[in-house]
Amino acid sequence: MTAVERTAALTGPPLAPVASTVREELRDRLVEGVGAAVAPLPADDPVVVTLPLLRRARARPDLLASAEEPFAWRPAFVRRSLGLAVVDACADGRFRSPLDAVGPVASLAVDRWRETGWRTFHWEPWMAGLAEGARAVVLAEAAGWATSLWSSLDWSSLDPRTRIGGADDQWVCPASNTVRLKGRSDVRVPLAARGPRAPAEGNREAVALVSLSGGCPSPAWREELAYLALVASLRSPSRPVPARVLGLWPDAGADRVVEVDEGALTAAADLVAATVTAVVEARHSVPA
Amino acid sequence: MDIERPNGSPRSSGGGGLPVGSPRQPGARPRGCDAGHRHHLAGWEPLSGEDLLERLRITGRPRPRAHPDLVERLRSGLESGLRAGGRGDIGGRPGSPPSPPVGLCHPAPLVVTKDRLTRALACEAHHHASESGQRPVSVALACGAIVDALFRQLVTVGSIGDAMTDGLAALAVDDRRSDLVGWVERLSGTERDELGAEVERQAEGLRRRWPALDPAWLPRTQEAMRVRLADGAFELSTRVDLAIGRPAGDVASVAIVEVKSGSHRAEHRADLHFSALLETLRSPAPPFVVATYYTRTGELDVDPVTDELLVGAARRTLMGSRLLADLARGAEPGRTAKPLCGRCSVLTDDVGQRHPGGPGPWAHGDRDGDGAAR
Repeated sequence: MTAVERTAALTGPPLAPVASTVREELRDRLVEGVGAAVAPLPADDPVVVTLPLLRRARARPDLLASAEEPFAWRPAFVRRSLGLAVVDACADGRFRSPLDAVGPVASLAVDRWRETGWRTFHWEPWMAGLAEGARAVVLAEAAGWATSLWSSLDWSSLDPRTRIGGADDQWVCPASNTVRLKGRSDVRVPLAARGPRAPAEGNREAVALVSLSGGCPSPAWREELAYLALVASLRSPSRPVPARVLGLWPDAGADRVVEVDEGALTAAADLVAATVTAVVEARHSVPA
Repeated sequence: MDIERPNGSPRSSGGGGLPVGSPRQPGARPRGCDAGHRHHLAGWEPLSGEDLLERLRITGRPRPRAHPDLVERLRSGLESGLRAGGRGDIGGRPGSPPSPPVGLCHPAPLVVTKDRLTRALACEAHHHASESGQRPVSVALACGAIVDALFRQLVTVGSIGDAMTDGLAALAVDDRRSDLVGWVERLSGTERDELGAEVERQAEGLRRRWPALDPAWLPRTQEAMRVRLADGAFELSTRVDLAIGRPAGDVASVAIVEVKSGSHRAEHRADLHFSALLETLRSPAPPFVVATYYTRTGELDVDPVTDELLVGAARRTLMGSRLLADLARGAEPGRTAKPLCGRCSVLTDDVGQRHPGGPGPWAHGDRDGDGAAR
């Protein structure tokens, strides 16, 4: 599929809006199911559900109980945020390609931090202290990531309100403050209201999400992509449920689209519940 | 867009050339051959600048077109061969466990890299020993890793400063290579000086000869390629030093370059063909060319991609993947050293016999520092 064809598939009219009652039922179901699963956990032992956790629970369940390594910056952690800023700069027309943009965008962020102390990306102080060879690795990683996203879509045909990057969607399970769902979409594309459904409530302001991942699509790619729509819809009940999610796996040259309907959201919620249960069991299996 | 000449630009007699006015990093690298900078090796002069790029771009063959039927044949041939299991082309071996249905044997995919393929096909015993033990670090491997990092830096930022300083700083933030930094720092003064001199010599060659690449060609370094086969039981995986050209549409537009700090080895071309196969399986069209750039000599070994090349790569991949699957299932590795196994000449314990005239440290290259992820 070419970038033009992929973009056309991404921005086509939404198939059918998800009724608000469906969203409420799913929310109640998650609150009940997930709340019960984490009941044995102490309040200071939170479960943060993310797309990588959903994937790890299927591919490497043996790692679920592993303690997380202390955080330290490395190029892979900068790749996405810098890469998104690079794509944004290219989409704005400030640069003609990611390799043109990556150095200036990184330098501008570091300069701003030096002048104001403001950290847009959080990695600015770390980047400022890197030797030239190490900085080149960071730039190369980000340029590669950005190039994958940049060459996957026909940016000229996207709605000007398209948002590249931005804050993660988050939803905290109200039954228990130990469970938080985080969804990280790389691009949010407003879908033009058009076609016979255009006037109908629910089609307005609908968005499509784009998510770029490494590796290959897993057998659960539908549920994983729908998870991003699920978190977005739980986070903002007043906004329409995202109409579709496009997943990109550049390493594999693969892309997949999920049309978000009741079935997709339910499957995603089931995957969340199963993953949280697996995490709780894994933590209980670790000897004190 | 690929690395073709823009519409309307005049063409050279070779059928094409570089885009007129393509950018150059100030003071960094030549855009054309500079006779004063040419390296002379027994009367042969390595290409540089535009000439090097021209050699890469002009293969003398028409660019391959998207060929869905060929891709389907390659994929289905691999799929059916892998599902059938066993040693296929090379025959079953006593002691090989029967192949269970794919999917039950390896819940996680069996990852097939170019290194694993080459090791298994060259010498099963050596492959077996390599998989179960820690890979020894050598001066050649360290040199390869540092030069890889410097090449990446040159492509990305357009310049290399102090080669050892930049290279080691790059390795220090690379999870796959960071252990090499401590190893280099523990070298004796003489060994470290020797390594530093070779790294600087090769870096200087890169500075003088490697052309600036137009960012519009979307050059990307250390690009990962993965293809899952047989319901996810196998994952073909590689990482190429450089890919240039926008993703292909109807016509091939991508060139793949591997950088080697050591000397020619027979398997380098097979490695390239494996990368060409993966790019073909994951993209609408194959790459139009794959090439190895030898930083020690400045030589560019160019291989235009043809259907025959891809079919041959698929056959080799199938054969090696079956071997790897057998070994992963616990089959007894073959104990016969083969001439292709460079390591057997220095690691006699693996196979109980020694090849005469093993290669020297720089010639060996130890896979030129290729990491396990390759």
